[in-house]
Amino acid sequence: MSVKYIPVQWNPNKWIYDAVMLAGVALFLWVFLYLTPEVLSHDQPVTAQIRNARAFGACAFVMLTVILCIGPAARLDRRFLPLLYNRRHFGVMTAFVALTHAGYILNWYFAFSSSDKLVGLLYANASLGQIAGFPFELFGIFALICLLILAATSHDFWLKFLTPPVWKRLHYLIYAAYFAVAAHVSLGILQDQKNHVFTVLFMLGAGAVIVLHLAAWLRERSEAAAKDGAWAEVARVGDFRDGYAKIAKLANGDRVAVYLMEGQLSAISNACAHQNGPLGEGKIIDCLVTCPWHGFQYDVRNGRSPAPFTEKVPTYRLRIMGDMVEVHPDANPPGTYVEPVPLPEPPPEPEPDVPEDGATA
Amino acid sequence: MSEKPFFVGYLPAPGPLRTFLLTACVLLIAGLGSAGFLMGAAQDDPGPGAFRFDYGRQTVTGVVELTPYPILHVTEGNDRIQPGDSFLMTAGGKSGVDSRAEPLAGQLAQVSGVVLERGDLYMLQLRGGRNGLQAAEGEVPEITAEPQGRWKLAGEICDGKCLAGAMRPGRGLAHKACANLCLLGDVPPIFVSTQPVLGEEFLLVTGPGGTRLPRAAYDYVAQFITAEGEITKRGDLLVWEIDVDTIEVTP
Repeated sequence: MSVKYIPVQWNPNKWIYDAVMLAGVALFLWVFLYLTPEVLSHDQPVTAQIRNARAFGACAFVMLTVILCIGPAARLDRRFLPLLYNRRHFGVMTAFVALTHAGYILNWYFAFSSSDKLVGLLYANASLGQIAGFPFELFGIFALICLLILAATSHDFWLKFLTPPVWKRLHYLIYAAYFAVAAHVSLGILQDQKNHVFTVLFMLGAGAVIVLHLAAWLRERSEAAAKDGAWAEVARVGDFRDGYAKIAKLANGDRVAVYLMEGQLSAISNACAHQNGPLGEGKIIDCLVTCPWHGFQYDVRNGRSPAPFTEKVPTYRLRIMGDMVEVHPDANPPGTYVEPVPLPEPPPEPEPDVPEDGATA
Repeated sequence: MSEKPFFVGYLPAPGPLRTFLLTACVLLIAGLGSAGFLMGAAQDDPGPGAFRFDYGRQTVTGVVELTPYPILHVTEGNDRIQPGDSFLMTAGGKSGVDSRAEPLAGQLAQVSGVVLERGDLYMLQLRGGRNGLQAAEGEVPEITAEPQGRWKLAGEICDGKCLAGAMRPGRGLAHKACANLCLLGDVPPIFVSTQPVLGEEFLLVTGPGGTRLPRAAYDYVAQFITAEGEITKRGDLLVWEIDVDTIEVTP
């Protein structure tokens, strides 16, 4: 819940997160650049600039793969959510690694000629009509532009300026970037290699991304409670736990999070106003639901963040029919107060039969 | 149902989650390190080509012939470059020496530069200006061209400089744009034959009738192709006049 924009609002978890990611990237590059040439022992080693370009390019691909695996992993197992927490830091890091790769390529393969290197990059290979020999650099350029756009707009300022739905849609560019990188690698280095270890790793990485996304999608689809009719069923009364939510999917695709707090039910949008994080996976802390992604908080009765914060999410009306909790699909304007619905009193326990004196079973 | 640990970004990680996160972090770092090792260790051998700065600067004299790419037929050599050798020349960067060689076509010239060597293929990267290529005094021997007939060859068109060792590796599809840029800069193109041709693996490749490699052939640079053309032996160098219409990409 930001009230002012500063480059990065640090906290201990962010330091740890960035340190882990940096350590991984540094280890990858160090091993690739300084350890493996000793192992390879070629008579004439790969030219240093080319090895650098390959190391940073391969690292960017691996980083992108990890980034795209974090999302579905967190949807399949909530324990991965902390890895999602500052994923955009990892994304910015990836953009810098990819930019370094592009720098080595541009200043080596496309330098030393009478042409400007950027011009040379675009005209040196014009075999657009063929697959083998296609100027695969174009896919790399596209992917790099996507990554730079994502990195430049990763700050909360852009989130606020663009609004979360637009921001989130813009950041789906990561998928376009990944497909472009896959095409870039497939039409480039993969076709040149004799050693297929890289090919296998590339396929494993891309396969992991696809399988995890499919698994998460199938899981959510099986759990979706899309129902027809004016009121949508959420869950049975007895299924609610105090402090947590049940999520219902409406016919229009929106998701509603219905919370049980202190014996009363309230419903708000499942999408956090910050980054559309899944509020329904959050928990009530200090009478406020806390988003599992970045800790934004809302009062579930009116969908408002506590002062001085100003974020608001839509609320929904609830009713209980029999032992089923139902939600009305028409959202109230963000921040609208809705009277919580108390859970019905459990039926009184039947009094045990008291045997009469002297009676026998 | 048991209480699940809940992570809030600005609060310390809950105890039960710490072990999981620590394990995930260690695995992530180790995974990146392992990927770096496997990917780094999967680099193919770029071959024996290299700049031979260790040989020192080479200065020899010979006859300049335009094929149309400039060749030097050595008449006065040194310890490494013998009389009778024929080699290709290039300038620094992605540039040929055409503008300097053309006024000296058919004449005796002294050249000086650094050797690029890859097996039987070698090339001289000339020093700049007159220090690299200048007219020399002396009798000009006659250079004869020996036709070797029409050949169908399989292999790859590369730029001679990167292939000879300016870049390691200096061939293959990933190198295609760079090779084209070299060729556009008048670096001589080389055909790497999959089988030795008249004892040679590398041939200078030109267009028919002593013309430059046609632009239409640039689409096939760095790909495995078959094509037909006349081979001529000039000094100890084979020159293949490729017939672009016969080029076929080998699957």
